Amino acid sequence: MNNLFQITGEYWQLMSRVFRKPEKWSIFRKQFWTESQKLILASLLLLFIVSASIGAVITIQTANNLESPFIPKYYVGVMARETLVLEFCSTMVALILAGKMGSSISSEIGSMRITEQIDAMEIMGVNSANYLILPKICAATIFSPLLMLTSFFIGLLGGGLLVAITGIITLAQYIEGLQFAFREWYIFYSMIKMAVFCFIITSIAAYFGYYAKGGSLGVGRSSTRAIVVTSTLILIFDLILTKLLL
Amino acid sequence: MIEVKGLHKEFDGKQVLSDINIKFSPGECSLIIGASGSGKTVLLKNLVGLYEPDQGDILYDGKIFTKMPLKEKKLFRREMGMLFQESALFDFATVQENVMFPMDFFTDWSFEQKLERVNFCLKRVNLENVNHLYPNQISGGMQKRVGIARAIAMNPKYLFCDEPNSGLDPTTSIVIDRLIQEITKEYQITTVINTHDMNSVMEIGDHIGFIHKGKLVWEGNNKEIMDSDCQPLNDFVFANNLARQLKKNK
Repeated sequence: MNNLFQITGEYWQLMSRVFRKPEKWSIFRKQFWTESQKLILASLLLLFIVSASIGAVITIQTANNLESPFIPKYYVGVMARETLVLEFCSTMVALILAGKMGSSISSEIGSMRITEQIDAMEIMGVNSANYLILPKICAATIFSPLLMLTSFFIGLLGGGLLVAITGIITLAQYIEGLQFAFREWYIFYSMIKMAVFCFIITSIAAYFGYYAKGGSLGVGRSSTRAIVVTSTLILIFDLILTKLLL
Repeated sequence: MIEVKGLHKEFDGKQVLSDINIKFSPGECSLIIGASGSGKTVLLKNLVGLYEPDQGDILYDGKIFTKMPLKEKKLFRREMGMLFQESALFDFATVQENVMFPMDFFTDWSFEQKLERVNFCLKRVNLENVNHLYPNQISGGMQKRVGIARAIAMNPKYLFCDEPNSGLDPTTSIVIDRLIQEITKEYQITTVINTHDMNSVMEIGDHIGFIHKGKLVWEGNNKEIMDSDCQPLNDFVFANNLARQLKKNK
């Protein structure tokens, strides 16, 4: 329990150093774009593969389970859309990104800590937490809604492609399902969730990296802990946000 | 001048530094020597503000560093340069970007002005045509020299070196030692070096402090060290047969 209080205290202390005015905006801007490329663009391929395959799998499973003649075939499209937008494109994608982004951030910052690169910055008078962490948090949080939208679009496309290839329902029925009783709020709800999850992923992973100790083993341990804590918090916040927003 | 007064530091109830009193003067290479785990690195980290002393003060030209507010301390650190044991060069940056890093933050110079300063610092440490290489593309000795170039980039008044020769061959170690000594004298920097390399002690030890079990037990220079009657120091300095033979012949 004491450990939990200590970690929470250290986390907020670190965040208070992260959310300061950058020393120079030109440096922050440069870092922001670099991190956007490293965190967002580098995650796109994984996002494409996972979203397309999950979109296709949801479509097959829904089609196979809708055997009643009283349920219209276009419900396959409705189900695929609702599953993707409500849970998959935010929560599941965030859990996948927690592994990719989270381990990358905590191991990068952790190695800088154990090789004294962070100490070198501090001795120069640079706020290392602000320089290293703020651009990561901003890049991931600002671009995360785009990730969610991309995942949603690719997921639907994956389902559509499967329908076109296998003919389990017609493409017209699938598209009709996608448009049926569509609620725009679900998109915003999912985008908000994704932004919160990306904030959690980047800040928690950065925290564990920043306080890494004990050589390369310590860096590995901090990456693992970052992923475990991040994944747990994503699930807790999923519950809270769903209760609050829906 | 740096003055350490009554410095105490402990970790988890274990006393690591006890009542350290020492002065470091400008234009002099001051060496802190001692066995591994004696408290040298802790002292250095206290000097640069990475650790807070439990008791005692550190004064930089009369200003009490330990009692400075965080903001002032941060500004003050711009007058410090540090060379780390493993160089601590930024992996994500080229040699040029590493040396330019503090200038990017704390000057309004144009890129050309910064580049001119980078080239000057690299030339001063005898490095040329390495600007666009990354730290993992150069040797350990070159990394140390880039570390020195980065440390002197902002014309520091105080230079701290933590085991500057660790992992280097004896010839390269001497090159690095002489370079630090030249720079110290040329720019009248107050230089504090942590080392347990006896070659460095004999080569550049203008002022030496020996730490044993967290206490400063001897102070002198590289000439006086041979004739010291401090037992822990003699055990440390004359640990090998060659050194013992040298002392005997002397």
